[in-house]
This record gives sequence, C-alpha cells and structure tokens, in this order.
Amino acid sequence: MALSAEERTRYARHLALPEIAAAGQERLKAARVLVIGAGGLGSPSALYLAAAGVGTLGLVDCDRVDLSNLQRQVLFDNAALQRPKAVAARERLLSLNPGIRVVAHELTLRAANVREVIDAYDIVLDGTDRLPTRYLVNDACVLLGKALVTAAIHRFEGQAMTYVPGRGPCYRCLFPETSAAVVPSCAEAGVLGVLPGVMGAIQATEAIKLIVGRGEPLVGRLLTYDALELRFQEFRFARRADCAVCGERPTITELRDSPETCMTDALQSLRRIAPSELQVMLADTEGRDPLMLVDVREPREFAAGHLPGAINMPMSELDRRLAELPAGSTAVFMCRSGGRSLRACGQALRGGTVTPLQLEGGLLAWAAEVDPALIVAPAG
Amino acid sequence: MDCTVRIGSPLRSYTHGASSVAAAGATVAEVLADLEGRFPGIRFRMIDEQDRIRRHIRVFVNDREAATLAEPVAGGDQVHLICALSGG
Repeated sequence: MALSAEERTRYARHLALPEIAAAGQERLKAARVLVIGAGGLGSPSALYLAAAGVGTLGLVDCDRVDLSNLQRQVLFDNAALQRPKAVAARERLLSLNPGIRVVAHELTLRAANVREVIDAYDIVLDGTDRLPTRYLVNDACVLLGKALVTAAIHRFEGQAMTYVPGRGPCYRCLFPETSAAVVPSCAEAGVLGVLPGVMGAIQATEAIKLIVGRGEPLVGRLLTYDALELRFQEFRFARRADCAVCGERPTITELRDSPETCMTDALQSLRRIAPSELQVMLADTEGRDPLMLVDVREPREFAAGHLPGAINMPMSELDRRLAELPAGSTAVFMCRSGGRSLRACGQALRGGTVTPLQLEGGLLAWAAEVDPALIVAPAG
Repeated sequence: MDCTVRIGSPLRSYTHGASSVAAAGATVAEVLADLEGRFPGIRFRMIDEQDRIRRHIRVFVNDREAATLAEPVAGGDQVHLICALSGG
C-alpha cells in the first residue's frame, strides 16, 4: 500500500524513524486493529492508532456517552453526551484522520458473535470493563490465532500484557479464572482519570510495534503501573501447560458464555450494601416491611454463627426455595465473603419475585466492621 | 529484618490504603499470617481453604514467582501481591 503525498506529510515524523520509515507506515496502513471498549483505555489507544495511520480500526461498545465518562474518556466531549459511544468515537477518529477506515461495532461481545467480529482484524486491544468479556476475548484470540494486547485499571493501578500466538502465555495463563465477586469494578472503586491514558497509550504502542515488527513486545511479562508512586514494574510469567485454552490439553475448544456473562447485565443494576449500611437498615424498620435476611451458606456454616433472624437457604436449594420468600419483599443475600451471595442475587433477579440486595464482603466484612463476636465458619 | 509487602490496589482497603507494609516471616505463608494478624480478612482474599493461592492472584518474591505458600522470604525482600484488575 503506497503512501500518497498527503500521507507522506502527515506521517513525516514516522517516516523519519528508520524503525518505521515508509515500509512500516505502509504496514500500518494495511493493518486492521480492533479496540474493545471505547472507554478509559479505548479512548487514548484508538486516538493514537488513528493518528498513527492504522488503516482499519474497529471499535466495540454498546454503551452511550455519560457525563461521568468525560473525566477520562478523551474520545468524547459534551456534545457527544447520550450518543452511542461507538458512533461518536467513529466520527471523532475520522475527523482526526479521514484517511483511515473506522468500523463501529455497536454490540456486546458474546460467544455467538465474538468470532465473526474479531476475525476481520489482525490485532485486538482489550479495554473492556467486564471480566467475563476479558476471558471471552482472550479465548477467542487464542482460538483464532490473533495477537491481543490487554490492559486493566483500578483506582491508581494499571496492568498490561501482550499475547502473541505461539510466542508466549495468554491472559488465562496469568489469571486462570476470576469472578466479578472478588474483583471490584471502577464504578465501585473509582479511578484516576489520567491512569487509563497511560495504560491505553501503552496498548497502542504495543499494537504499533507488532504491526511494524520492531522492538520487544510485552510477551510473558506483566507490566504494572502505580500512579501514586509513579512506579512501573514488570513480572515474568510463563505459559501454563495446564492452561484451559492455550495449554497442552485445553478444555476450552469452542467459545461459550460463562454463567457470569449471562448474569452480568442483570447484576449491573444490583444494589450491594456495606455492613454498616445493613446495620442502619435493620435498625430503622419504621414504616417499611421487614427485610428478609437470606444466608446462602451450607447448614454447617450457618450453625456456627449467623445474623439474628436470618434464614438458611444453601445455594443447592436456592432455586426451589426462593418461592418461600414473600413476593415483593426485599431480601438481603449473604454468605461468607460475597461470592455465593452474588450468584444468589443473580438467581433471585432471574426469579423476579423479590428485590435482592447483596451484603458486600459477606459475613467476614460484617464481623470486621460491625460485630466482632460473630463466628464466621470456614467455607465448605 | 522484615520484608516489604507491596499490596495490589484491590487489597488496599484492608491495609487502610497503604501500598506497602513491612512484615515478618521466613516464607510467604508466614508473611501472610503476619499480615492477617494486623489486617483481618486480607489472607482469605488471596488464599483459599486448601491453602492455595487463588487463581486471580499472583505472588512474587522480588522477581521470582511463588507457586506455593512455602516459597522462602528473606529480610529485605519485596513480596508483591498482584490481583487481576477488571476496570477499563
């Protein structure tokens, strides 16, 4: 793909770098990069990739621009409020560089569509804020043989790593599995606005290096960044022989939505309450129906210690026993640390007869914050 | 001599926001026991009932990965507790 006279001017600073030069710029022009999530990470990475002249840029996002996004999502401005992110981002990127092609994928990635979307690209940048999507995208990249640059953020900390097929470990080798119950989201925890700027720029750097074939990618290395201390560190990790998707005997050979994926949308709206908040609600019963306290641990754990008035519905019995709760009531689901109760809330949301709340951090948090005398038995 | 434990962002709610704390112990298990004494609940976030490091956590001693809790720790070492992050 030869460069036009205008492109030679636009990319003059790249052309001046022997590591890129005309051949590298032509490779950028021919490259197809998919950015998943037009959010904090996707904003800077997509802007820099568009500016760098990546010929085809895809953007996956099904959300609309919200005022609270503008603190960090530099693709958007006030005029974009309430507009679909993928569409507004496409316009912004094309006004930055009209010479490229930008494809807006206004959808949520699922097992049913991820292969079709990713297959049209060479490199994937993952900047999603949904854990199940992270795993789905990783698995799809491994199965389809696509390079993946992944990054994630939390408060003042960022992480990044690169997967190149056949050259090193994948995201599942790094963190084989996880759950939204144990990994808090930015909406809950907050995030420094400029943090994804740093991490998204790193993702764009990795993509450009892979495209022009220069430098050393972040393969087999986890890069961590602590903005408060301004400290970058890297940790080497190897491919796991027992990795479920890229290991010797993979158990993930086709793409499937995790049970959590199916629950994620419903759980977005779930109200999670801190122990101190529950304490206030229990004390203030005037003029409202009593709260149902539903402890979903095993009977042995329940017997060792539980909240006064709580009823025991172990997870294995929950589906058939949800009907015991008065229709229209509000039920606080609790377990030891918050994992099981989150799944219980998902089941209650699907059941649709009660309004579930989740005790965040579980009874361990209750014991730590409200009542140290509560005995919380080990799980199992 | 103590080691320095660097606390991953999601675990700092247990350490009252501290990004690193000093701890004593000759193995990762002992270091985590020391932390648990001062920051109740932090160990369970990283270690399951079978004493295995949870699958969304990686523990490094300096630049060496601790596959198990038996990994030795010496005074002056840095122990890194790294958690999977989900934000984008």
